[in-house]
Amino acid sequence: MTIIKTEKLTKVYDDNSLPVRALNNVNLEFEQGEFTAIVGPSGSGKTTFLNMIGGLDKPTEGKITISNTEITRLSDSKLIDFRLHNIGFVFQSYNLLPVLTAKENVSFIMLLQNADPKHMEARAMELLKQVGLEDKVDVRPSRLSGGQQQRVAVARALASRPKFILADEPTANLDTESAFNLLDIMLRLNKEENITLIFSTHDQRVIDRASRVITLVDGAVSKDWPCSIHSDKI
Amino acid sequence: MKTLLKIAWRNIWRNPKRSLVMIFAIIIGLWAGIFVSSLMFGLLQARFETSIEQQFSHIQIHHPEFIKDRHLKYGIDKWESLSRVLASDPTVKAFSGRTMAHGMLASASLTRGVNIIGIEPEAEALTTRLDGNIVEGSYFEEGGRNPILVGRALAEKTKLQERSRLVLTFQNLDGELVAASFRVAGIFQTANSMLDEMNVYVLQSDLNGYVGQELVINEIAMLAHDLDRLNEIRDTYLASYPELTIRTWAELSPELSFIQELGQTMLLVILIIILFALAFGLVNTMLMSVYERIHELGMLMAVGMNRRRVFGMIMFETAFLTFLGAFGGMILGVISNMITGRTGLDLAVVGGDSLNDFGYPSMVYPTLGTHFYFILTGLVIIMVFITAIFPAVKALRLKPAEAVRKE
Repeated sequence: MTIIKTEKLTKVYDDNSLPVRALNNVNLEFEQGEFTAIVGPSGSGKTTFLNMIGGLDKPTEGKITISNTEITRLSDSKLIDFRLHNIGFVFQSYNLLPVLTAKENVSFIMLLQNADPKHMEARAMELLKQVGLEDKVDVRPSRLSGGQQQRVAVARALASRPKFILADEPTANLDTESAFNLLDIMLRLNKEENITLIFSTHDQRVIDRASRVITLVDGAVSKDWPCSIHSDKI
Repeated sequence: MKTLLKIAWRNIWRNPKRSLVMIFAIIIGLWAGIFVSSLMFGLLQARFETSIEQQFSHIQIHHPEFIKDRHLKYGIDKWESLSRVLASDPTVKAFSGRTMAHGMLASASLTRGVNIIGIEPEAEALTTRLDGNIVEGSYFEEGGRNPILVGRALAEKTKLQERSRLVLTFQNLDGELVAASFRVAGIFQTANSMLDEMNVYVLQSDLNGYVGQELVINEIAMLAHDLDRLNEIRDTYLASYPELTIRTWAELSPELSFIQELGQTMLLVILIIILFALAFGLVNTMLMSVYERIHELGMLMAVGMNRRRVFGMIMFETAFLTFLGAFGGMILGVISNMITGRTGLDLAVVGGDSLNDFGYPSMVYPTLGTHFYFILTGLVIIMVFITAIFPAVKALRLKPAEAVRKE
């Protein structure tokens, strides 16, 4: 089942005197349960593409449809609400709220969704257990390692029960062990709970585990090929 | 809401030094505002009270012609019946009938023009507490012929002392000059040195002995139990005695009323200026806080925190900083008012008796009405809204895609 579809997606940054075409007529479809790695050199448009399908930025041309909703037509406030209920984000530098504990960071997304507080607590505990941090629930981010913070970020991304998770270079700041640990967790979630993952990355460790790899060059799709070698690495 | 409040509270303590500096700035600023306001209000209140107590009373009654030409001959004809009514009126606290004459006071060294006020000592003491202002000698307590009370300012200028002899010259009812010798029984000092220099008090019976009539009353000064019912009392007496001029203190001295109103407005302006200055500091603190957290705010908006909640968070942070400071400032203000309100502040230490020359007492008891704290709280709330808007708008204008990538 197709959950994301982009048609003639184009983004031109016109802030400076010389316009920059960051994305150029990108036509892509993503199926439920795919683990896609978007790769390409710096400036190829990976992050711009993620920002577009994540509803963080609007395209200059083209349209994006997520689960039958054309998000390019949504107002800013509806887009915020759409992101809250449909998209999970994992950022390169974790971006946890430093004033909240691991559990509170995970619960925070559910709070924004006005979820039942009792349900929030249980789900936050369950998610932190899934990412192996059940013993760190009341610890603030400053006292967690980078790998642990990124696992909290994954739990937070899952908290809203999103249709897919976008991760922008999630392993870039992690050491090898933490990166493998994180990837194992995300692969397990992808496999067991059929969660759609879209990563932008330079990391070969991620590319090796992806079920599909898309290469962007100069804002256009250069290669798009399936890859199934990850299944035996879980 | 609860979590948003929790986040906002914890956010302000992320940089405790900066928050504490801001909170202390608000505490000191508000305390200073409250203290200065209390001092001014205390000064105005004292001026009002002494003017009422020693000069105007609550209501004064005159013959209408006496107001135009302050001549002895314009007496209140119905004094006897009126005094009986006043004595039996439960709304009247005290009253004093006065015989008033203009004249010259001659001491051994100097001659000066004075208001000669003939009083019945007991009634005057109840009305103006003149007896409490005696600083030398006594309040008509010793016997002897023609005792007189003079103000300290006049005594110093005319070199009069207790038991000094002086001569008063004034016109009697027939328009003829009368001169009489008086002996200084006491020297009084009020908070108004101008009055002390102008007024002398003699026994009503003595003065009337020289006037040429058994009893002339030119002025009735009256104190009421309820200051808020003065207009009602005046109207009642005016209905019964339409031939007399009856005026409240506000009509007798419109400037006193004006000073009261102006003073309150000035205090409000001072507080608004202080809050305005503090608001700049607060905006600066909140802007720094927002700029430091662009990355984080971008993340919050990216994951789905709507504008209302972002605005609310900034608003709560501003409110916490402001209310902590305002609460501290108000508590400090109340405490300092409690202490100085009891002990008083003697401004003569810095300005000598110069305040007395303008009718203000040197000893001031700072005070501030409860309503002023409510007004201040209202102003602080308005300040929170105004100061939160600028940093909150900055936060709302962030583009999440750009903000999350900012280092």
